This record gives sequence, C-alpha cells and structure tokens, in this order.
Amino acid sequence: MRDLWPVLCVAAVLAALAVFGPFVAPNSPIAIDIPNRLAPPGGQYPLGTDAMGRCILSRLLYGARWSLGLAFLVSTIGLLAGSLVGLLAAMGGRTADWGVMRVTDIFLAFPDLVAAVVIAGVLGAGTGSLIFALTVTGWMRYARVARGIGLGLETRGHVVQARLAGLSAPAIARWHYLPALVPSLTVVWTGMLARAILGISALGFLGFGVQPPTSEWGTMLLDARVHIRSTPLQMIWPGMAVVLSVLAINIAGDMLRDALTEKEAPA
Amino acid sequence: MLKVDRLTVHRGGRAVLQDISLTLQPGRTLAVLGESGAGKSTLVAAVLGLLRPERGSVTWNGAPIARGGSALVMQEPRAAFNPRLSLRRSVLEPLRAKGLPDDPKRIARLCDGLELDPACLDRRPYQVSVGQAQRLGVLRALLAAPPLILFDEPLSALDAMTQKHTARLISALQREEGFAALIVTHDLGYAAAHADTVAVLRAGVIEEAAEATAFFGAPQSAYGQRLVGAAVSLGALERRAAA
Amino acid sequence: MKQITELLLRAAVVLSGTAIVTFTLLWHAPGDPALTIAVARYDSVVSADIVDQIRAEAGLDAGFWTAFTHWVAPLLSGDLGNSSVSGRPIWPELRTAILLTLPLAFIGLGIGLAVSIPLAALAVRHPGGWVDRGAVALASLGAAMPAYWLALLLILCFAVKLLWLPATGAGTARHLILPSLTLGLGVAASLTRILRSALLEARGAPFLPALARRGVGPRERALSHVAPHAAIPVLTVLGLELAFLLEGAVMIEVIFARPGLGGFLIHAIQARDFPKVQAVVMLTALVFVAVNLATDLLYRLVDPRIGARDA
Repeated sequence: MRDLWPVLCVAAVLAALAVFGPFVAPNSPIAIDIPNRLAPPGGQYPLGTDAMGRCILSRLLYGARWSLGLAFLVSTIGLLAGSLVGLLAAMGGRTADWGVMRVTDIFLAFPDLVAAVVIAGVLGAGTGSLIFALTVTGWMRYARVARGIGLGLETRGHVVQARLAGLSAPAIARWHYLPALVPSLTVVWTGMLARAILGISALGFLGFGVQPPTSEWGTMLLDARVHIRSTPLQMIWPGMAVVLSVLAINIAGDMLRDALTEKEAPA
Repeated sequence: MLKVDRLTVHRGGRAVLQDISLTLQPGRTLAVLGESGAGKSTLVAAVLGLLRPERGSVTWNGAPIARGGSALVMQEPRAAFNPRLSLRRSVLEPLRAKGLPDDPKRIARLCDGLELDPACLDRRPYQVSVGQAQRLGVLRALLAAPPLILFDEPLSALDAMTQKHTARLISALQREEGFAALIVTHDLGYAAAHADTVAVLRAGVIEEAAEATAFFGAPQSAYGQRLVGAAVSLGALERRAAA
Repeated sequence: MKQITELLLRAAVVLSGTAIVTFTLLWHAPGDPALTIAVARYDSVVSADIVDQIRAEAGLDAGFWTAFTHWVAPLLSGDLGNSSVSGRPIWPELRTAILLTLPLAFIGLGIGLAVSIPLAALAVRHPGGWVDRGAVALASLGAAMPAYWLALLLILCFAVKLLWLPATGAGTARHLILPSLTLGLGVAASLTRILRSALLEARGAPFLPALARRGVGPRERALSHVAPHAAIPVLTVLGLELAFLLEGAVMIEVIFARPGLGGFLIHAIQARDFPKVQAVVMLTALVFVAVNLATDLLYRLVDPRIGARDA
C-alpha cells in the first residue's frame, strides 16, 4: 500500500482540476471578446484566445469539469451495471450465463467508440445522449471480468459453506463475491475512465458530444482545427490536456494493478 | 435418521455414483471408505443437496434436507473460510442465515470443548494454524446445531499429532451434541477408531456395508479384505519404524 | 464438432442480436424519419401528403416487426437496401468507400507491425534497460494519444509547416501517407506493449533452461517453443487491432476528409440516412463475428486445453 501514493496524488490533482478548475480560471469561458480574437498567449489571456476571443485557459479549466467529470460518471455507471451483469451470469446457473454472455457478445461485436458515435449521432447531439452512448458501450469489460472471477469462486470452500448455511443469493454476492471482485474491477475502472475521456473528446470532436458554448476539450479541438494555419497553438492545449490526463490515469492504473496483485499474492 | 435411497449421480454422461443406499441414526457415525476417485466427494455433494441426482433420494426422517439442515467440515480448513472476513463473521454465518441471534454462551462452550482460544475468532483465516482452522470449521458446523454433519477427509490436512487430538475432540462433542456424523475418508485408522458403521465405496458402487467391529474383524468383500489387509501391513511397518 | 456447432450458433445469435439492437435504436431515434427523408430529397418545405407518401413507401407506417422483416429479409440474401435520401442502392457507394479504407487499414497495420516487432524484440533483450524503458514510454504515450490529435499534429508538422504532403483529400499515394502514418503509430503503440509482455512471459517459461540443457539450440527454442507460447496473446491482439483499425479509420478519415468507410458512416448519421447506417453496422458486425470465430478456432488449434475446458 505504501507504493500507492503517486496514484492518490494523480487522483487528487485530477479531481481538484474538475472541482476547483472554474474557481481559478482567470476569465469567463464563454465571454466573447471579438477585438482580441485569436490572440497569442500573454497578458489578460495566459494561453491566448480562440476565434471568438474566448479565453483558452478558462475554457480548458471549465472543460475539465465536463471531460473528467463526465468520464467519471460514465465509467462508474458502467462499473455498477457491468459487475451486476457479470455476477448474474456467474451466479445464475448455466442458462442465465449463456444468455447474458451472448448479450455481452452482441455489444462486443462492434468497436465501442464507433458504436458510441452511431448511438450519440442517431440520438442527436447533447450531454444526455453522450452519457447514454458511452455507458451502453462501456459495461462489457466489467461484466466479463466479474463473471470470470465469479465462476472461479463458485467452488471455493467459503462460497460452498455460505450456500450450505442457507445464506440468500444477494448476501452471498455481497459478502463472498463482491470483496473478491473489488481489486480487479478497480483496475478495469481506471482503464475505462481513460477510455471514457478519449471517447468524450472524440465525440466532441465529431460534433456529437457536449454542445457549444459549453467548453469541453474535444469541442475545443474541433474549434481549433480550422485555425491550424494561423494559430496552431490553439489546438495544442486541449490535446495536451487529454493526453496528460489519460496518461496519468493509465500509469496510476498500472501502479494500482501492481500493488493489488502484490497484495493478493501471499493470500 | 438419514436415508440415502438408491442414489445415482451422473457427471459428463457417466455414472459417478450408482444405486447408493445408506442409513445413519442420530448420534452415530458412518464412515464411507474409498480411494480417491471412488466418488466420495460426489457423495458428499449429493447428500448436501449441492447437485441434482439422476435418480434416488436423500432424506432426513422422511423429508428432504432443508438448507441449513446439514453442515460440512471440509478437507482444506483454511480455504473453507473467506480470506477477506474475520473468522467470527464466517463462523456466525449459519446462525445469521437462519436469522438466529448470536449465542456467546454456546460459542464459549464449544470453544472450550474444541480447546480453541476464543481470541482466534477475531483473526483472519491465514492468521491461525491449520489445526485451529479445522477446529473452527467444526465449530461453525456445530453452531446452528444441525442434526447431520458431514466430514470430508477432515483430518488429511493435519499432522499426525493434531489428527488424533482433533478426532478425539469431535467424538467427545458428538456424544454431547448427539448429531449424526457421516465421515468420508481413506484413513482406515480413523474409521476403525471412531466409526459405528462402515461402507466401502469403489468406483461409484457400495462394495460392502457393515458394523465397524464386524468389518474390521472380518471384511466380507474381496476389496474390503484388501483394504483392511493393506492397513494392517502398513501398521506393522509403522510399529517397526517406531521401535 | 459439437464445439464448432456451438461457436456457429453463438455467431448467429450475435448477428441477429446486433440487427435487432440496431434497428430498435434507429426506430426509436428522435424525429420523424419520413419528414427527414422528404427534406433531404426535396431540399425545401414539403406538403404533408408527400411526407405520408414517403412514409408508406418506406414501410414506416407499418409496425416495428413488419418494418424489421422488410429490412432483414433482403439483407439475408445480401441486399443492403437503398439509401433513404437518394433512393439509390447502398452497396456500390459503400464498396467505393470500403475500397478507400482498406489500403489505409492495411498500410496502417503494416506500419504498426514494422515498428512494433523490432521494437519489442529489442526491448526484451535487456528488460529494464534504456531501450526497454523507451519502448514502454512510447507505448504508453501512444495509448493516451487520441488519433485525431495525432493527425492534427502530423498535419501541422508535415502539411502546414514543412509543406511536404497534402493535408486533406484522397486519390494519390501522397494523400495516403499522413492518414496511414497516424493509424500505424497508434497500432504500433498497442502492439509494442502486448508483444513485449508476451515475449517476456514466453522467455521466462520454466521449460526453456531445461531445453537448453538438453542441447536444443536457441533458434529451435525460439521457433518451436517460444513462438507457439506467444501465439495466443498475438491472436487476441489481432482481433483487437481490427477494432482499433476501424475506430481509427473513422476518426482519421473525418480529419483528412477521405470519403472512406468512416466518412461514409459520419455522413450517413448526419444526413439521418438510416439504411446506410444499418448497412455499415451490419457489415462491421459480420466482419467482427467472422474474425472472432476464426480466432476461436485457431485458439483451439494452438492450445487444445481451451476446447477441453469449455466442454
């Protein structure tokens, strides 16, 4: 556990960015300042302005709330739904398992980002359909991991004992399955969090995600793309924000996995 | 009274148990003897109701055994406990599942009978010895006072000294509590010392069933004779090594 | 044999499920599809009569299942239907789009393999050495890099600043360089990571020193013992890479304004041309199911234990 402090630091920094970002932003993210459009970094606008003269730094900081906050929401809903489905498959007997796993296969029969693009695009742009699209395409990995571990637990001594004692299925799930699932599902969750950040910004970049004037990193890239010749720096910042958060979360996830497998080993 | 009536269990399209019939009175001990692969574990699972038999029935006083109406002491003592819960939680599980209150007095008495330090209960499975874990397994099995307790090779994970000690403690508690004990084992010495009746299981079929004294005195089936003969010659070797 | 039947049954279930899920989604999509078609077709205000006429013609006034069978029955004989906007058959247009995407995907995969195999092989020669660390760092960076941002960076560098290559469009080989480079670098990142750990694991296998003592040479050890061991993860990866290639192609084609499969899909969604969307979805699902089926069968060839465990 002592090796987990970098993980906690990353989590704290990203959470702080999403929660406190707006409070440290120098300007309003939607205030238009036409005379100062496409301004270079410096002065009132530390990272310059976009085509409508809006402060890029402020838009980045406000955008963190959407990009990171929505990713957190989406991956957490997926975690709950997916582990429930996986437990159902593992504990519900052979027929339930077959049915549940085929449904999972249907959702896996398609690259998740493309599926999310189709769903969000068809349902129409907006935050609601964005959340729906990314959740519907993001629960399968949890389900598979939960089922895999769950099936392995079925013949474990303590699970057999719990069934013999007459413990109810929800109680067995709560006390004998869930604790065994937590470490692996946490690791999957970090991976899905990173994927959700990429997915949100990709949908935003395609115009299917969070709608203007709300700032979100992907839509900021979409805005910046047109001005790649005149002000290329404008597209560097949101891209860096995405890459750095995803990189940080992935590294934190790797460390978490190493720490958890190490802890599990002697038991 | 436990009655196993013409029980047949298939696994992977093959009969693992065939026409098994057994009876066991309250307070008595039945030892099912057999080599590994004879179908002993399948018999345990079928009696506990963990798998559905192809034919036949398992009843207690004429009715199917309800959940919580029987208990099992497993071969691997530590694996029988959830590594993420305290032993107390695991031991109390049968009571809680039935909605019964904790019974500290009974726990204290049983701990005393099993020569267990009650402080063990606040540890985790990997923080107690295998012998302690097995006695905790017996404690859990006994706690809700089921009329029938199954023991699946209860001593094989323990060292020789602990084996004798644990076997004696179980017998003493059985006299006190009056449960019926079905012991599945390949350990003939254990069966000879503690069983009232014996059934010999081989390749899914009962070869011979008899009173323990009769069986160990003069086994009737050819396989029973081989088993007892082998145990006697092994015993002779042990004595020579000791001398 | 029984296993193969089960695998085929699964594939059929998945494809039918995909069809139902897709059709349900599009059926419940917001907006009146008939009105959308009318607006797309006539590009102006249309009378209610024309909208009703379109509704009847497209089978939209019938119930869900009637409409569903209307779509699925021709699909089973390989007919993808007609565009609801132009009324023309979908397949010729879709085929053109696929033929633009295939070279991109293959060159991307080729670049990915050409970069990742030597990189992973060099990395595992000295695990923990500077080459290894560099490879891991590159792979991590690649995994965090969205394809569209990498594309923009490459455009900025090679098209805007250096003026070496065209930024957008399709047609010539020069147009293919930047898109396939973007795709290939992404593939390389994920392949390097997986190949590296597969090779490390295979190299650490306990039977290798024993083989060496028995006088089995390093070449034979690598070819007949390490390679089959590393084959399973590689098979899995190739299945996964397919998803990555398609995903990447969608985003990359939008950025480089290539009218390939990705562009086809995005335009169909934006025009609310649902028959086209359905066609792309079903085709992709078919390819995926086929590849998964092939991997499952190959697994059983490489590792007989897998089939035994399932049975």
